[in-house]
Amino acid sequence: MKREAKIYVSIGVMAAAIIVLFARLVQLQVVQQQEFGKESEKNSIKKIIETPARGLIIDRNGKIIVDNRPSYTLTITPFQFDKNLIDEVASLSGIDPEEIRNELADAKGTNRFNPIKIKRDIDFKTISYIEENRDRLKGVSYQVESLRFYPNKFNASHIFGYNAEISEKSLNESTENYYRQGDLVGTTGLEKFYEKSLRGEKGSRLILVDVNGREVGAYNDGNNDVKPVNGSDLFTSLDSELQEYAEKLMGGRRGAVIAVDPRTGEILCLLSKPDYDLNTFIGSPDAKEINRLFNHPEKPLFNRVTQTRYPPGSTWKMMMALAAMASGKITPTTTISCPGSFTFGNRTFEDHGGYGSIPVVRAIEVSSNVFFYKLGLMLGIQDYHDYSAMFGFGSRTGIDLPNETKGLLPSQEYFDKVYGVNKWSQGLMVSLGIGQGELGVSPVQMVSYTAAICMNGMYIQPHIVRKIYNSSTGIETPVEVKKRQIDMSQKYFDAVKKGMYLVVNGSGTAKNIRNSDYLLAGKTGTAQNPNGNNHSWFVGYAPYDDPKIAVCVLGENAGWGNMFAAPIAAAIMIRYLSGNSADVFNENVKMEVND
Amino acid sequence: MDRKFFDRFDITLFLSVIGLIVIGIFAIYSATQSSVNNSGFYVKQMTFAIIGLVMVVGITYLPPRYISSLSYYAYGLALVLLLLVLIFGRTINGNKSWFYIAGFGIQPSEFAKVATVMAVSNFFYKGDEDNQKFSITQLLTATGIVLLPAILIKLENDTGTTLVMLSFIIPMFFFAGVSPFLLFAVVTTVAAAVLAFINIYYFAVFLALLILALYFFKKHWLLSAGVFVINVIAGYSVSFFYSKLQPYQQKRIMAVFDPASDPLGSGYNVIQSKVAIGSGGLFGKGFLQGSQTQLRFIPEQWTDFIYCMIGEEFGLLGAGVVILLYGIIIYRLLTNAYLSRNRYMMLACVGFASLFFFHMFINVGMTIGIAPVIGIPLPLVSNGVSSLMSFLLMVGIGMNTYRHKDIFLS
Repeated sequence: MKREAKIYVSIGVMAAAIIVLFARLVQLQVVQQQEFGKESEKNSIKKIIETPARGLIIDRNGKIIVDNRPSYTLTITPFQFDKNLIDEVASLSGIDPEEIRNELADAKGTNRFNPIKIKRDIDFKTISYIEENRDRLKGVSYQVESLRFYPNKFNASHIFGYNAEISEKSLNESTENYYRQGDLVGTTGLEKFYEKSLRGEKGSRLILVDVNGREVGAYNDGNNDVKPVNGSDLFTSLDSELQEYAEKLMGGRRGAVIAVDPRTGEILCLLSKPDYDLNTFIGSPDAKEINRLFNHPEKPLFNRVTQTRYPPGSTWKMMMALAAMASGKITPTTTISCPGSFTFGNRTFEDHGGYGSIPVVRAIEVSSNVFFYKLGLMLGIQDYHDYSAMFGFGSRTGIDLPNETKGLLPSQEYFDKVYGVNKWSQGLMVSLGIGQGELGVSPVQMVSYTAAICMNGMYIQPHIVRKIYNSSTGIETPVEVKKRQIDMSQKYFDAVKKGMYLVVNGSGTAKNIRNSDYLLAGKTGTAQNPNGNNHSWFVGYAPYDDPKIAVCVLGENAGWGNMFAAPIAAAIMIRYLSGNSADVFNENVKMEVND
Repeated sequence: MDRKFFDRFDITLFLSVIGLIVIGIFAIYSATQSSVNNSGFYVKQMTFAIIGLVMVVGITYLPPRYISSLSYYAYGLALVLLLLVLIFGRTINGNKSWFYIAGFGIQPSEFAKVATVMAVSNFFYKGDEDNQKFSITQLLTATGIVLLPAILIKLENDTGTTLVMLSFIIPMFFFAGVSPFLLFAVVTTVAAAVLAFINIYYFAVFLALLILALYFFKKHWLLSAGVFVINVIAGYSVSFFYSKLQPYQQKRIMAVFDPASDPLGSGYNVIQSKVAIGSGGLFGKGFLQGSQTQLRFIPEQWTDFIYCMIGEEFGLLGAGVVILLYGIIIYRLLTNAYLSRNRYMMLACVGFASLFFFHMFINVGMTIGIAPVIGIPLPLVSNGVSSLMSFLLMVGIGMNTYRHKDIFLS
């Protein structure tokens, strides 16, 4: 074979090989270019969801009462995570390894590049450890998250409510496609009611990551990023100092307190006892402690102001008086004979004293039962229901807290349904006349009713939030408040208010809370409770001639009974009117409450 | 011998080499600039490229007989170094093939490639290539010259370089004048074994083509039949032994030929490298703009997988130019071999052309997923002083061949 031929063979082999390489390059770089281009982007671009800080909650004086603080959340990214590290991560974070395994198992089927939140609020020492061992602890990382911080000397647990990790159920039910597993979501209180305002809008950041998932920079100089919008702040009407004072007054007793400004419906303080420490729910809550709260026999998570219904007892008597006058059954001057007891059919209803023939003002002052037994019968169920409904009973007040109860306001239909048509007697009206029987009201309904009375029939939706303001966008959203004037003659209100004035300032049932500086008006109540001791009520307002605060205090069936509600209510009203300086409450006051 | 300095200076070869080196330095810069430890690599590469190019010019003007007379010494030195590295060498990436002298890593196996080609050329330099009759002893000795360093390199656990050592035997023997039919028989037997392993249908087609080829050789029918039988036996025995292997062993072998079968192991690199090159498109993503390269999705991207960076950032254009430059270099080496009246130089050029070709084809083929993953550098482009210098040594001898193409050596 000639050398020339050999050269030709060699060059031929080389040329063929080069053509093969070229053809392959064309296939990859021209034909399949788009496919590989997408592949390379998928490789290196990661979407980071940025959760904005929740909105703050601010009191009527501009003081922040629900704040945020930065915290570290331990995360695991399943894609990079080596299961052999579970035990180390467990001891690092103080969680049961089994729990981590479950978390990882739960995340199966979701995007394996998304970090799973393992534990919130880990300490800085742990962060340092993770940083130092970054190369070994692949997939273990942390995120900075803002958590709630309460810079207060009071709990206000039922006002603020807590945030918790979104449940799988709500995650599945949510149609918004906003939440992701592990997100915190407002679960009770204002946090829940104003969730959409408080949470803000999540942003996203596209970042370039290297082969180890390490962030190396922004994609496209951040031009495709969406900035998170911080949550809006809630400007509330709450008076921090009054809240603190009221919580101190209630101490360890069970019950509820709510105070509003009757001119605006703004809530000044609101508390339900027993309450709980909101910090219990911060970070990675202790499951045992949470369970204890949920299963506690005294139901501390329950908001007694809005979620419970009680019979109102004698605090109901103004309602009866107004209904009877407005329906023309009596006039302000009509007198009714009030002996020590009242017999209807074969049943005798007792009173705590005989008062002779008295008009409605006097009946309220002395809290005559017989007077109102009779009014109940006079009114009949229809008027009873209709006039009470005008004051918001039997329906929600519209307070900006979740899960408000409607209470129970009986009607013809109700009794027909419960007892059967024509199977119930007017005798039911006797008890209903003094706020007993099948009547259920919540403290928030009671305070709104009291405020409407002192404002001569102006019924205003009670509310905590005045306005919602977003500091990043500058958008201010006022809160819409419903108001309505109850159509009743002024003289009826005057009569009722006069009665309430005399309760405190005459010879009434709450004369020991009389105050020389402030004219208080109100009404005590002791509601019989088939399940235990009586509930003690007080509703009132002050000053009598120019109301600035209306209060409702409920003491739940504890032994201190009817000795407690009125002094607390008085102390709160005076405290508020004095600019949070006076302290007139004296626990040793033993007042005679003759109901 | 009164010749002007620039007479017969193979400027085409020289410029092509410089072109590749320049592309290589850009590629190394791009592939390492995001890395803290390796960001100085391109400076080192540039320094040694300049030293190397000076060396190339120097070699060009050496009298050819100096070069040939150095062959066995160079070969002997290479063997000694390979033995020493086996004893004292440092292990990097599983290969015990490195010396560290004053902070520089030196790979004797890279120099062994050049020395071995020189030794084989020297062994065959006498005689008339058209009517060569080699004794069995001669052929075995020549093969032994190659196998000895190859075995030492295999002992270093460097399979890639071992295969490289075997790559030039056939072409050099071919040009030395060994019977083409004998070489054909050897080549087909190896091919039969590989094809039977990859796919039984390929093997069947191959056997059909083999019959055709044997017919054209017009050898005695018994001889042809013998070659055919050997091929069939080679194919079946490979399949047989493969089936006797443990599944994990089968998987490892399979992954060499079909990286996609092992996407998280050796296949990972190939998948990422295909993504890098494919996403580059016609004109590339631009210098320093390749996400696959800059975000280090390709391991060792400044050495064996450097072609990915070129494909990704410079696109089909850059990738094509690189292949074209290799084509020119190999073409020039073959042309110089053809023109040379010096049998030693002719054989050396063929050996070097084979080395360039085998490195280029396997390396580029590996990154675009049509060749098995074998760790060998891309000549003149991959980062690495030893590799760069030994390829420049080859270029120098090739240039020398052109300058002295009509000088007989005897």
